[in-house]
Order: sequence, then C-alpha cells, then structure tokens
Amino acid sequence: MKRSGEVVVNQVVLGVMAVLVLAPVVVFLLTALSPDISGRPALTQLTWGNFVEAWHVADLGRAMGVSLTISVCAVAGQLLLALLGGFAFGVLGVTGEKVLFPVLLLGMMISTEAIIVPLYFQFRDVGLVGTLPGILLIHLGMGVPFGVFWLRAAFRALPRSVFEAAELDGAGPLTTLRLLGAPMVRPAIYTLALLSFMWTWNDYFLSLVFLQGDLQPATVALGSFQGRYTTQINLLAAAGLIVAAPVLGLYVLFQRRFIAGMLAGSIKE
Amino acid sequence: MLSTDEKTTAPHRPAPVVTASTPPRRPGGLARRRRLTGLALAAIPLALYGAVVLIPLAQSVRYSFYSWDGVGAATWVGLRNYASFATDPVLRSTVGHVLVLVVFFSVLPIVLGLLSAALLARGRSRGMAVYRWIFFLPQVLTSVVVALVFRRIYALDGPLNSVLQAVGLGSLARAWLADFTWALPALGLVGTWATFGFCMVLFISGTTAINPELYEAARMDGAGPVREFFCVTLPGLRGQVAIAVTLTVTASLRTFDLVWVTTRGGPGTSTLTPAVALYRAAFQNPQVGLAAAIGVTMAVLCLLIAVVVTRTAERD
Repeated sequence: MKRSGEVVVNQVVLGVMAVLVLAPVVVFLLTALSPDISGRPALTQLTWGNFVEAWHVADLGRAMGVSLTISVCAVAGQLLLALLGGFAFGVLGVTGEKVLFPVLLLGMMISTEAIIVPLYFQFRDVGLVGTLPGILLIHLGMGVPFGVFWLRAAFRALPRSVFEAAELDGAGPLTTLRLLGAPMVRPAIYTLALLSFMWTWNDYFLSLVFLQGDLQPATVALGSFQGRYTTQINLLAAAGLIVAAPVLGLYVLFQRRFIAGMLAGSIKE
Repeated sequence: MLSTDEKTTAPHRPAPVVTASTPPRRPGGLARRRRLTGLALAAIPLALYGAVVLIPLAQSVRYSFYSWDGVGAATWVGLRNYASFATDPVLRSTVGHVLVLVVFFSVLPIVLGLLSAALLARGRSRGMAVYRWIFFLPQVLTSVVVALVFRRIYALDGPLNSVLQAVGLGSLARAWLADFTWALPALGLVGTWATFGFCMVLFISGTTAINPELYEAARMDGAGPVREFFCVTLPGLRGQVAIAVTLTVTASLRTFDLVWVTTRGGPGTSTLTPAVALYRAAFQNPQVGLAAAIGVTMAVLCLLIAVVVTRTAERD
C-alpha cells in the first residue's frame, strides 16, 4: 500500500518536472511547423516545408558547413592533444608534474572572458581574426585542460602492468599509446569526442568575436538571422531547430555517454 | 646517470629495450627517463594551452591597468578601470543584475532539485532513463536556440500572454523582454528552466549513494520526513550541492548568450550583465583596458566562488 503510494508520488513529481522542461520546446516545435508567419500553432496543418524554406532563407547550408568544419577539426585535434597529454600524465609521468598538472587544472576554471580581450587583439595583429585556423587554435588550446584531465583519469584506471609489459617488449611510448593505450580507453575517448563536439558546435561567444561574414558558424548566423528576420516567426523557429539538430541527434543516440560525461565532468575537482 | 642525448629523446624514438636479463639497476633513472619522455609528449598540448590561455590571462591583467582604445597608444591608469565598478553606475548595476540572476539560476533550481530529491522515494523509479533524458535536454540545447525559444514565449503575441489571456489575466500581458521591471526576472527564469533538471539529476543520483541505514536510524528515532530531510538527505548531498552552487553561480556571473540574443542588455541597461558590458567595452566602443578589468574581475570571482564553496563543503 505504502509502496504504491510512493510510486504515485514519484511519477507525479517526475512527470510535472518533465512537462515543465518540455513545454517550451514543444511550443517552439509547433511554431516551426506553423503555416502562419506569426507562428501560431496549427496541429492540423503541420508545414514541414518550413524547414526547407528556412534552410534557404537563412543560408544555413553555408553556416552549418562552417560549424561542421570547425567542430570536426576541433574534435580531432582535441582528441590527439588529450591522448598525448593524458598518456603522459597518466602513464609515463611528467617531469615537473607537481607544478604542471595543477597549472593545467587551473585552466578548467578560467573563463573565456578572462582571456578573450588580449586574445582578440593579439590575433588581430597576426591576422588570425576572422580565419578558421584562428578560432580552431583557441578551441584547441582551451580544450586541453579538460581533455588531458579526462583521459589521464581513464589511463590511470588501467592496470599499470599492461604498460610495463609493453615497455619490456621494447615498444616505444608512441607505439604503446597508439596500439595499446588508445584502444583501451576507447569509451573515454567517445565521451570526450561527444562533449567536445557539443561545446564547439554550441559555442556562440568566441565565434561572435572571432568570425564574421561568410565564416559565421550556425549559432552566430542564427543570431544575426533573428535580428534581421523578425516577421516570419515560423521560419525563425525552424532555422533554430535545424541549428540545434546535430547535437540533439547525437544526444538521442548517445544519451548515456552525454549524461555520464557531463555529470562526471562537473565533478572534476 | 642520463646522458644529454637521452634527455632530448624525440618522442618517436622507441625506448631502449629493457630485457629481463638486465633488471632495472637504477629504477630511479628509468622512471626519470620515462618522465622526460612524458614531458616531451605533454609538451605539445601544454604549449598550446600556455599560448592560448596562460599568456593571454597574464596579458589581461596587464591590459587592465591601461586605458586603450584598441588602436592608438595606451596610457597607464593604475587601478582606475577596477574602480569603475564603484564609480560607473552602469557597470555597478551589472553587479545587482548578477545577484538577481543568482536567485534564478542558482537558488531556485537548487531548491527545486532538493525538493524533488526529497519527495522522490530512494531507489529506482520507473522510466528514470527517459526522465533523465528530458531533464538534461536544456544542457545540450544550443544556447542561442534556448534564447530564441524564450524570446518567442515572452513575445507580445507569444504563448505566455495567450495563456494569461485565456485564464482571464490578460491585464498582466505585456512584451516581457521589453519591460524595464520584468525583463531581468524573465531572463532569470530561463536560467531556472535550463538548470533545475541538471540539479535534480545530480541530487537524485546523490541520494542513491546515501547509506540506507541512516534513514532507518532516523525513523527509529521518530524523525518525520522533514527532519529526515534535514538530518540525513541534505548532509548526504553536501558534495553535490557544492558542485551545483559553483556551477550555477558561475553561470549567472558569466551570462552572455541569452542576454545578447534576446535584449542586448536592454531595455536601457536593465538586463546588462558583466559579460555583455565586457563585449561592448572590448568590441563596440573600445575601452579595452576596462574590458580586460571586467574579465579579470569575473575570473577572480569565479575562482573564489569555486574555492570557497569547495572548502565550505569539505569542512565537517
């Protein structure tokens, strides 16, 4: 009797909270599907063509292409850097790590705002503002602390004997990392790749400062589209959903990794 | 002893073969050698991190003591940029705005999260995986899209006003984000919406780690649900609450995307946040030194919050 009471309370609490989270998103989805430019939801007339039209009107093909290029390069580079650093700190040890590792961890707490001003003016002087390599460098450098921290933890969870055996067999560190280490921390690599893709794709502040015109990624393009296009609410909502779609799709496919990664990532200290 | 040649071992060169017949006579030397290789591997990520994060951080501090328009010559002004937080009423107002946002981004989600963690019976609930997916949704949704969603909801002809009219409260309807009084709390509620699910999942997963015997003991002592919450659940969640406080307070301090996409700090300066003030000072009406000072102040505050909260949570 008491148990079934508990079950009811649980479901009511969870259900109410879930509705509160979902309601704005559902309203937005209905807005995107509305045939009316004011975005009034019309359940009987779902207009899927809005997505096609928004894609063209907001020039999303170009912007999504830029976002995809930046995100894929950033993820690949970040994984490589994190593997090198994580293997060094987690398996080999690093000369001076008593100082270097805390300095690295500090980076996880340094916000973009603290560095963006000099970064912008320095990059401007060497012509890196408004270029893809410029923003990639920043994404990569800022991603190092979390990436190294994340894979170091994964490497440390492995039995040391594996790497000692490889060393006895005469394998060099890079060979050991490539053939033995990296495959063994594959789950951590996947999670890092997903989180890093999400952070890069969703970035707005850095891109707003560093990329203009044709190099605007999807988030910035969407931001300026909404400023110019205030009359066709339904198209604006459709464009928003298109921009959110890649990360949402990954989230649908890999929800466990996302949630576990974000929970673990938040408990990093 | 290591030869200098060994110290400069390139990362791609295989380490010398150590066979079983030559046991490590100098284990210290071997470990040292390994650590040097480690340094060589870590050098690339460390160098990039140093160039993109550490050096600009130091430069931010230096910039903050100058007055510079981004083009001409910079003049030393000492601490005047920092003093602007006290002397410039617009900048000073951002501090008040952050405090309001903290209530919505931090206090409300944490209270809601604790409340639901307390109401939920411990152990697994049916369909928890689906609920967790929903509660985390705002965390993965692109911030610009979140801003668009709520710009729509708060619009004059938007869903919120439609609901108010439907229930006979049409007199309350307004363009929420264009209202001097209501714009800031309206944006704050977006933060509440985005964060409470995360806090909930964090706290629920925390309660499952609390020793059930503590609850048994509390019940034996005749504790009601309220005392049980304050004596067992809340102390057990101290670590999780500390994380939630750090993350959410930092997030309210750093609010930019949401404000920039919806109100740009307006109407007037009623929703101006430090990050928006920084952006304006750095890139719109260049007062680069002031922008750097805002950035440095924000970074110091974030660091302080993290340290103080973690310390407080660890103290027993």
